[in-house]
Amino acid sequence: MTAEEIFACLEEKFGAKRETLDKWGVTAVVSAAYLHNAVEFLKDGADAKFDMLVDIAGIDYLTYPNHEGPRFAVSYSFKTVAAPCVRVRLKVLVGEDSLKVPTISDLYANANWYEREVYDQFGIVFEGHPDLRRLLNHVEFVGHPLRKDYPAQKRQWLSTNDYLLPTLEKRLEELGYRVLQRSKEVEPNDNEFLEGSVKA
Amino acid sequence: MGNEAEKPNIITTSLDFLVNWGRTNSLWPFPYGTACCAIEFMSTEVGRYDLSRIGSEYVRFTPRQSDVLLVAGTITYKQAPILKRIYEQMAEPRWVIAMGACACSGGFYDCYCTVPGIDHIIPVDVYIGGCPSRPEAFFDAMFDLQKKIKDESFMKQRAEQVKDQLEMIKAKTAEAKAQAQEFAHEKVAELKDFVVEKEQNLVKKAQFWKE
Amino acid sequence: MIVLDKNGEKLNLMPLNVGPSHPATHGCLRFMAAMDGETIVASVEEIGYLHRGFEKMVERGTWQQVVPYTDRLNYCSAIMNNIAYCRAVENMFGVELPERTKVLRVIVNELSRINDHFVCVAAAFQDLGGTTPFMYAFNPREEIMCIWEKLTGARLTNSFARIGGLYRDSYEGFEQDVLAALDSTEKALKDLHACLDRNRIFLDRTVGIGKISAERAISYGWTGPCLRASGVASDLRKDEPYYDYETYDWEVVVGTQGDCNDRLQVRLAEIEESVKIVRQALKRLTPGPVDIVDPRIRVPAHKLAYQDMEGLIGRFKSVYEGIRVPEGEYYCGSECANGELGFTIVSDGSGHPYRIKVRPPCLTQFAAFHELVEGGQLADSMAVLSGLNIIAGELDR
Repeated sequence: MTAEEIFACLEEKFGAKRETLDKWGVTAVVSAAYLHNAVEFLKDGADAKFDMLVDIAGIDYLTYPNHEGPRFAVSYSFKTVAAPCVRVRLKVLVGEDSLKVPTISDLYANANWYEREVYDQFGIVFEGHPDLRRLLNHVEFVGHPLRKDYPAQKRQWLSTNDYLLPTLEKRLEELGYRVLQRSKEVEPNDNEFLEGSVKA
Repeated sequence: MGNEAEKPNIITTSLDFLVNWGRTNSLWPFPYGTACCAIEFMSTEVGRYDLSRIGSEYVRFTPRQSDVLLVAGTITYKQAPILKRIYEQMAEPRWVIAMGACACSGGFYDCYCTVPGIDHIIPVDVYIGGCPSRPEAFFDAMFDLQKKIKDESFMKQRAEQVKDQLEMIKAKTAEAKAQAQEFAHEKVAELKDFVVEKEQNLVKKAQFWKE
Repeated sequence: MIVLDKNGEKLNLMPLNVGPSHPATHGCLRFMAAMDGETIVASVEEIGYLHRGFEKMVERGTWQQVVPYTDRLNYCSAIMNNIAYCRAVENMFGVELPERTKVLRVIVNELSRINDHFVCVAAAFQDLGGTTPFMYAFNPREEIMCIWEKLTGARLTNSFARIGGLYRDSYEGFEQDVLAALDSTEKALKDLHACLDRNRIFLDRTVGIGKISAERAISYGWTGPCLRASGVASDLRKDEPYYDYETYDWEVVVGTQGDCNDRLQVRLAEIEESVKIVRQALKRLTPGPVDIVDPRIRVPAHKLAYQDMEGLIGRFKSVYEGIRVPEGEYYCGSECANGELGFTIVSDGSGHPYRIKVRPPCLTQFAAFHELVEGGQLADSMAVLSGLNIIAGELDR
């Protein structure tokens, strides 16, 4: 099954539109409401099984010339692992007012970190994500650096190291354990804060 | 005593020489390698360049047993508190080498997330340029550091520490003395008043009995 | 921390933080494990300690200025990243490269792969406590570094590829140097196999450790040697051939168990395949130009700038304004040492990249780390980590 045929299916079932900017491959623009169903269809429903989520990329169209429509976009790349490698991309346009996209982390295991990264860099919220935290920037970071209106040299100091214990407790609960008593980890010391950081 | 300790003599210089000889020839590095420079440091360790020629082959991964903190790679704001803590955990004497452009100045990552040089966080003894630094440059830095250590005087450092302590003791003694004197003056004045009062009383009593 | 397990039994677990400054986590990885004695019950990872803002920095320069930044993604095989990026941009232009460039790119690609796999295997041995194989693996690596030095002027971060060609042609005596490096590679492989194959300690520590099934690995988006170790014969050089990879005689190496030992053995076997490819490619190396002749894409030769007006204008415009990549969005993935390195490129038709998103192969592999180590011993986690070959530069970008 070629990418063109997949696109025809997507167009018929989910009202997908062809992205004219992608002149080299197949990119289908779907609305956020149909995204989860469309991805489910790609993964299991279609004849060609798109069993690998290759990448999720956020895009900010703030300074893009002659751009009309919502400011942000999230672009998903899928491919088939079986020999004739077929690639297809899905794109969801996200307005500045809503900033919400349904999560697909229940379908693909690696979507979890990819979505966290897009949330970190662009501030797009993935609804239903189990643990939407920053991935690359530190916890005290304010703003979303890959937005076009974030100045590249605006530096932000971190005062002290991150605190992973709550995440660990969450993971334990996922595995079926029940935390009765929290461990007494040393709380961050006021003297350790770096100069220039928010808390110092 | 302070003056005596400052002056070099045959004992102190010989001791200096001995201590510096030991320190220069067994600099145990702590490779704080984060990025590309750490791979070049790995090349420095193995056969072709052989770091053990200058007595530094014993790479320690614990700050408490190492002398040189070798920061090889970019330090981000997320990494910065950890680097500072590692530096603070190292025992004196300790030296820091900033290896590569990123550790020296942030390199070409002039960005929201990279620290523009580790000297914003910790003091640095030797800087090495290059992106990444070549093993030869790293050796050059080690030799520079060895020269620097040879110029250091262990006795002088001790003397300075002792001098500081002596001055502190002197200042405290002077303060205590001043306090004591003030207190004594007060007491004497009180006593004087008391004596004068007593005398007056006596005079009054004497006058009364006379009358 | 005191927890209740599924059977209602009370357990006293100890939270243990490993990294980021830990010899086996290569400076930038961190995980926290809940330990029951020596066994890891649960583990969570944290990354971002080497987040250098690649994607923000590249938006400020021209398209050619991205090449040095790509060097520092996977710094163990820098040239491969250059080529992957340049290939993506060239595909947007739709240009065909000269024959010699293709063959040269194949040679440097495969030599970089050898380099990268040697670092991985050497570091894995070092983390497990074996210093000798570390020395064995670095000997041929240093020879390849010498070739890089002669060819590109740099040891590690080479910036050799250019959009529409190469930085320069190979030097005289390149073939002999490569052949000598291949010979010492084969010798080192023999030595490494002698250290590894029947080494009881090594096998006890790696066989059956950190197993992952093919389905789970695909769901995590694993690519490259780690996926192939789980038994999936997926290699972009065969599946989406570029630079005539399909015409060379070589095999895709596939593991059976998907454990730590398989991941290292697959890497060693891939070095052998790369040696085969390079030997064939050297025979195909015919004289010819290495740059395409199009001043809008590849800057004209330096000589031309002094001789004719067109060359001068082309050079000036290419340096001052940068090349203008056609407007649009494109994803292109290449098979790099760790797996599929992809670039999602958004161009607005100007001289500067609008957005470049890197798809790092390491990110997906490290995302699965907790599944590999949970239930195992703490010491096994180090074997697993070094077998995955996580390069922080491309993990955090």
